[in-house]
Amino acid sequence: MSIYSTAVKKPISTALIFVAIIIFGLYSLNRLSIDLLPKIEVNMVIVITSYPGASAADIEMNLSKPLENALNSVTDLKNITSQSRENVSLVILEFEYGIDLDVATNDIRDKLDMVKQSLPDDAQSPIIFKFGTDDIPIMLLSVTSNESTNALYKILDDKVANPLARINGVGAVSIGGTPVRELQVYCDPYKLEAYGQTIESISAIIGQENRNTPGGSIDIGSSTYSLRVQGEFTDVKQLLDLVVGNRNGKVVYLRDVAYVQDHVEERAQETFNNGIRGGMIVIQKQSGANSVDIAKEIKAKIPDLQKELPPDVKLGVIMDSSENIVNTINSLVETVIVTFIIVMLVVLVFLRRWRATFIIVLTIPVSLVAAFAYLLASGNTLNIVSMSSLSIAIGMVVDDAIVVLENITKHIERGSSPKQAAIHATNEVGLAVIASTLTILAVFLPFTMITSGIAGIMFRQLGWIVAIVITVSLAAALTLTPMLCSQILRLNPQKGILYKLIFSPAEKALNALDSGYARLVNHAVRHRWAVILIAVAIFAGSLFLIPTIKTEFFPTQDNARIGINVELPIGTRQEITRDLAARIDEEIRTKYPEVMMTNYSEGQAGEDNTWGQLSTSGSHIIEFNVRLYSVGDRLKMSGSNRGLTEICELIRKDLDEYTEIKRYTVSAGGGNNMMGGEATVDIEIYGYDFAQTDIIANQIALKIREDYKTIVSQVNVSREDYIPEYQVDFDREKLGIQGLNVTTASIYLRNRINGAIASLYREDGDEYNIRVRYAPQFRESLEDIQNIIIYNNAGQGVRLSEVAKIEERMTPPTIERKNRERVITVSAVAAKGAALSDIVAAANDEMAQIEIPSEVSWQLSGAYEDQQETFHDLGLLMVLIILLVFIVMASQFESLTDPFVIMFSIPFAFVGVILGLSITQTPLGVMALIGVIMLMGIVVKNGIVMIDYTILCRERGMSVITACVASARSRLRPVLMTSICTVLGMLPLAMGTGEGAEMWRALGMTVAWGLSVSTLITLIIIPVVYCVFVANGLTYKRWREKHKKN
Amino acid sequence: MKAIFISFNQAYYEAIVTLMNHSSIRGFTYWQDVQGRGSESGLPHYGSHAWPTMNSAFLVIVEEEKVAAFLEQLHNLDLETEAQGLRAFVWEIEQTI
Repeated sequence: MSIYSTAVKKPISTALIFVAIIIFGLYSLNRLSIDLLPKIEVNMVIVITSYPGASAADIEMNLSKPLENALNSVTDLKNITSQSRENVSLVILEFEYGIDLDVATNDIRDKLDMVKQSLPDDAQSPIIFKFGTDDIPIMLLSVTSNESTNALYKILDDKVANPLARINGVGAVSIGGTPVRELQVYCDPYKLEAYGQTIESISAIIGQENRNTPGGSIDIGSSTYSLRVQGEFTDVKQLLDLVVGNRNGKVVYLRDVAYVQDHVEERAQETFNNGIRGGMIVIQKQSGANSVDIAKEIKAKIPDLQKELPPDVKLGVIMDSSENIVNTINSLVETVIVTFIIVMLVVLVFLRRWRATFIIVLTIPVSLVAAFAYLLASGNTLNIVSMSSLSIAIGMVVDDAIVVLENITKHIERGSSPKQAAIHATNEVGLAVIASTLTILAVFLPFTMITSGIAGIMFRQLGWIVAIVITVSLAAALTLTPMLCSQILRLNPQKGILYKLIFSPAEKALNALDSGYARLVNHAVRHRWAVILIAVAIFAGSLFLIPTIKTEFFPTQDNARIGINVELPIGTRQEITRDLAARIDEEIRTKYPEVMMTNYSEGQAGEDNTWGQLSTSGSHIIEFNVRLYSVGDRLKMSGSNRGLTEICELIRKDLDEYTEIKRYTVSAGGGNNMMGGEATVDIEIYGYDFAQTDIIANQIALKIREDYKTIVSQVNVSREDYIPEYQVDFDREKLGIQGLNVTTASIYLRNRINGAIASLYREDGDEYNIRVRYAPQFRESLEDIQNIIIYNNAGQGVRLSEVAKIEERMTPPTIERKNRERVITVSAVAAKGAALSDIVAAANDEMAQIEIPSEVSWQLSGAYEDQQETFHDLGLLMVLIILLVFIVMASQFESLTDPFVIMFSIPFAFVGVILGLSITQTPLGVMALIGVIMLMGIVVKNGIVMIDYTILCRERGMSVITACVASARSRLRPVLMTSICTVLGMLPLAMGTGEGAEMWRALGMTVAWGLSVSTLITLIIIPVVYCVFVANGLTYKRWREKHKKN
Repeated sequence: MKAIFISFNQAYYEAIVTLMNHSSIRGFTYWQDVQGRGSESGLPHYGSHAWPTMNSAFLVIVEEEKVAAFLEQLHNLDLETEAQGLRAFVWEIEQTI
């Protein structure tokens, strides 16, 4: 007994099986967590090796180079880059996507063990560090305070950071921008000299005074007491009364030579939120934890935390990655619902039966919820990719049910009882339905085999989801649909007035369309060559439009975040940086109403700020985080609705006005998103000689900046400037005469300028540094340094100027290498509306004009490299898919010519895509290309439906031409119905404006254009081409028969 | 005794069984899948790609007095939905065991 007759005969079991599927799906939906993207495996490993005291060039020669040579043989390595800075070498290994990083890490460890012997003795052991998406902060909180600034660190640490860190899933919580308390003992060098004291002696005395010592136990009478000396300071003022020495029989107190400030660290990163001084709390999640859940919990906790804080300290949210996620998913849910309604309306208009429409539309939720079960089982999340896949699938899942239902209706109209009709009608079309589903699977299953890069991660899920949804829809079409038809379809149901009012015009229009189309096909098959000529002309004509199409990798997404990094000349004082930062901040906030809040930090990050350590910071660097109102309510909240890239563009223009800025980067999307950020083309210039490559890089950067202002919004050169610094060169001979050595002398220098940590001051369970150093006014000039007195063991002092010279020097910059060669990268960011291909052309053009010495080579990389790679992969995939589709069709028709005829609809899908891209000026990116590949399967479906019926008509004895016309007329409605469902189903994606919609617009648009144009042309060209092939076949057959007889 | 051979579109199966029950006809022989086509206007039933429907057939042996009423009922069934196809043929039974 066949599956559909079982289904019809056991309606309760069938219904309940699908109810079970729905319940299971909804249960999964309930358990699924939300995320922005599918889990992206890390593909980078950083090997950090420090070698204190070595310069960049030394590091390059002695560490980076041998490490690179050893690590280069690690399997699956894609690129190896290195940065050699003062004291540290970073070797960054980039792997192919989809490999097991644990295996790679083991491999790396083995190679490191081998090379360790040949590394310098003083170099520390290399550390392996994996940086993944989990390390990107999920939330940035702002803290503003007017009065409590100096105590802020302690307040935040106790009252905010610790409670937050206790939340399940929260990894590190770092506090940035709030200075840490420090007791400063500021000494006067002249008084020190007069009283015969040094920084070292004072700090030693402070250390010795500030100590608790247990004295053992003592038995008195019948008891044992322990003895203790409580020497630790209980009040900062006690420091001033310390006796630091004797001079001429008189006691010297600390207050005689120094003053004490209970203040904060001198150099610290300062953070401002909306222009108000405060702090920033950076929250990172534990690996594998869910951002949305954590963010929800954190946000719920903030009001409680706020109550505990002093009234002037206010917490706010600068960046909340979950918000973007939730908005994106919500907008996709809307898309799915809109698509559902559209598909329902299309079915209703074509079938004009409420019950039939209900039966068909029911397959949509049944098939879609099955996808949730898959997502839960495979450990995935509801993300952009999975939700969009659902939206893509909606238009396709009804196809099978439509075909089945249509045939059942036909049988009922012929007089079968609904039950018998359901069984026999499903039996008739079952094979055709399975075959057309197989062609769709032939398209989507290969998607699951893409492994390269981000495209692989995205489309693997798309492939699985569509494949599963389509398979379930096939199962539903073969069981649920016939079962429901047998239960609720009636012959000639009563038609109400409302029905007649709405559907009579639709019916008339469809009838007119049927006969008009039949006449057109009749005419076309009688003028075959003219039609073919016109078709070829259309195809060739569309090829001329190709040059107008631009290419890109991924579109830039508007996630309402802008990251700005401003660099002033190295060594700029923090006061100047602070002032400039305030001015820029003011300008951004007043000029752009779209800005919701700003946050910026400047200054050197402290050692305990985990996040601060990962990015570069310094007194000359300003980091801005600008948050705009999210796309959905930008217009409502600000009265203006400029896009992210547009605002970035304007900010770049503003920053150009500040002459004091050395360079800046404005990155749309906050700079840390892996895709959807702005597209860049990187020109990598390889060469050993710094000067040579510097000249070329700067020349090309300048030229691109000037000649291509309209398409390039910013050009950055990777190599940093040579750093100016004062170096103290000790004369060893003179030191030797004084009984000193370089180490002793340099410690004297360091203690006076940087300060010596004498001891720790304890209060309320927290410890603060007590730092002894020269008072600020005594370390402001080179003379102050020259006047430093260094004492030898005999207690004789000698001025630094007598034993050393101070020279200003430029030290080499960070040395960057890629694939074992020195490299300098010039990266160009695409301006609004400009596509990657424009910049590539520009870069190639400019590079051709520059004279490049033979020892220097160059290549393009960045998003361009990824684009090339992915396009290549997708091209191969397309060929594979076309072959698979052909194989499926050929085996269905058991013929080679019929599928070949059907394949004629594919070129016209390209015509539609080219037309669409060209008219809407959408660049061809990965998403559009995926759309094209999907089209391969979708457009042939139309052909299958038509040719299948034409063959049927021929088998029933009609002549070729009559068969073509009859089948065309009869199949017009199913073809139109399924095509319109798919096209209109894509529209919400193609026209979406919500957050994250940019990503899928190109795909929706490609499929909608390609399928519309291809359907319109296919409806004419397929019957014509079929006629040509069959007619020629017949002629050949007759000729051969005649030949045989003779 | 008369033999009635009924050749019909499969969709009629249940209707015909019901008719036989009403007419108190108990015994029959049934072929589920048979192919055929009508002599004048009847469409082929081949179970093929072009003609996907199939016929079934009953061979029913009944007492003579039941034949007319039963045929009448079958004829009515056919008239209701002529497109489906239903034919019945009657002949004499000479001997039985």
